[in-house]
Amino acid sequence: MAQNVRDVSTNEEVTSTRRVIAASSVGTLIEWYDFYIFGTLAKIISEQFFPKDNPTAALLATLATFAAGFVIRPFGALFFGRLGDLIGRKYTFLVTLVIMGGSTFAIGLVPGYKTIGFFAPAIVFILRLLQGLALGGEYGGAATYVAEHSPAGKRGFWTSFIQTTATLGLFLALGVILIVRQTLGVETFSDWGWRIPFILSAFLVAVSIFIRMRMSESPLFVKMKKEGKTSANPLAESFKEKGNLKMVLIALLGATAGQGVVWYTGQFYALSFLQNACNVEFVQSNFIISIALLIGTPFFIVFGSLSDKIGRKYIMMAGMLIAVVAYRPIYTIMYSDANLKNKVEVVEKKVVTVKNAVKGADSLITTITTKAFTDGTTYKETVKAKFPADPALKAALPKDKLKPETKKEVTLPQDLYYKMIGLVLIQVIFVTMVYGPIAAFLVEIFPTRIRYTSMSLPYHIGNGVFGGLVPLISTRLVEATRPGPGLPPADPLAGLWYPILIAGVSFVIGSLYISNKTNNMDVD
Amino acid sequence: MSAIKRIFGLVWALLGVGIVPLVIKQAMKEIAAKPSEENWIFWSIVIVVLMPIIAFSLITFGVFALKGEYDTLEDV
Repeated sequence: MAQNVRDVSTNEEVTSTRRVIAASSVGTLIEWYDFYIFGTLAKIISEQFFPKDNPTAALLATLATFAAGFVIRPFGALFFGRLGDLIGRKYTFLVTLVIMGGSTFAIGLVPGYKTIGFFAPAIVFILRLLQGLALGGEYGGAATYVAEHSPAGKRGFWTSFIQTTATLGLFLALGVILIVRQTLGVETFSDWGWRIPFILSAFLVAVSIFIRMRMSESPLFVKMKKEGKTSANPLAESFKEKGNLKMVLIALLGATAGQGVVWYTGQFYALSFLQNACNVEFVQSNFIISIALLIGTPFFIVFGSLSDKIGRKYIMMAGMLIAVVAYRPIYTIMYSDANLKNKVEVVEKKVVTVKNAVKGADSLITTITTKAFTDGTTYKETVKAKFPADPALKAALPKDKLKPETKKEVTLPQDLYYKMIGLVLIQVIFVTMVYGPIAAFLVEIFPTRIRYTSMSLPYHIGNGVFGGLVPLISTRLVEATRPGPGLPPADPLAGLWYPILIAGVSFVIGSLYISNKTNNMDVD
Repeated sequence: MSAIKRIFGLVWALLGVGIVPLVIKQAMKEIAAKPSEENWIFWSIVIVVLMPIIAFSLITFGVFALKGEYDTLEDV
């Protein structure tokens, strides 16, 4: 009888924990979806709201992309973290969800620059900032909420579901965009169809709010509130008290900074490298990343769970160290496998097509060259050259406007395609090693009364600032090795020095100063 | 172990201090060589956002480590 009662009670606990995880994860996933559709549709948004001929609007476009991505997220972490420690986790991450969903929905409704002029980019800019703020508050809330419901010894496992949401959110965004684009056609999609993924967010958020409304507050927070132990000033306690500030610093320098750069390198930099340095064709490169991410995603849970057994530190540090050591060899292979200089051309298969499209008196000459190689690789080069008929216009146009546009596309054969998936997958495994256990690690080093505030800031600085800057700084490092305009960079792998340096420093700090204690969460 | 933590504390603090003039010098050099909008935006982000975070956190962390604040954090 006693055994039966215990079994029922255990079953109820498992069901309840599953509900908590599902409710938290779905909301966080939707927030990532909202955040990513802006980035994925950046080109269309730029055309609709940020016309290039208006310098102020163009500057706002740059700011919108960067500011919301990294500067605003830590502010969101501070604002909502404080709120979460004062009024509770549940209501705070409900608010972040409403703000994120509301601003995403509103972006889908804002009239374009052609209709309301400067107001269009200004409104979109403000809405994007709100998105960044909301994202800054969401993650810490979801991780804290799940961790505070999780049984001791399974915190790494349960919180690792939250860790999968960023990757799954990206999938959802890409999936919705592809389906809408496919259904409406490219032209209609570029005209107004792009608004649908934004508007759809309202529905997704409504569902998530409904689920979250039915959840109860974190038991640890409720207990603490009953006992009157909540913090009166979480910000001051988190960052002014030496005992806690030193843990914030160790979390940032020894864990989240390294984790952030490994996360961005393994997912976004890999895609950018395939497309820009290796010239791998758009669809093929996206498939390489998507398949690697799909195969790799369960490893977030594997490493989260493993961290319950052997400790968070060892897994995270191993992930960083292997990444630091392996990045250059991995990218050298990727670059070499796609490099046409290493391949033998089947000369007789070379085809050159020239088209001359005349618009008025102007002409656009398109030259398409296709080449085949003995290993099965194909190469397509499209060169578009504009020739304005009016000599006065030709003279007035800046030189770069008249420069032919060149697009290079390498399509890899099956074996190299699979090899590339394998090479990206290895990087995704590094991502899962550093990212899988980090939510549990962060919630465990801070006390319940200031947990939301304290863990959110290092997470969003590590991810938003250190990680978010990977594309910008890495591109810059590669450009610095370019001997002259139009010439290829001397070291196309130079961009890796930034993630290698940050992850290397993080590894040293983390290894020296982080404790590998597990389940040391303060529940008082 | 504690001694190593403290010695490295000095390294982090010095790194934090050293990074400021290094970054500013490099920014001035590159902007002077090519004062494009792209250059200005890049260096503004580095100087206003990244550099203060790195410098502040490394210096504070280094000083804490040097004072032995992290000596008691050991693996179990």
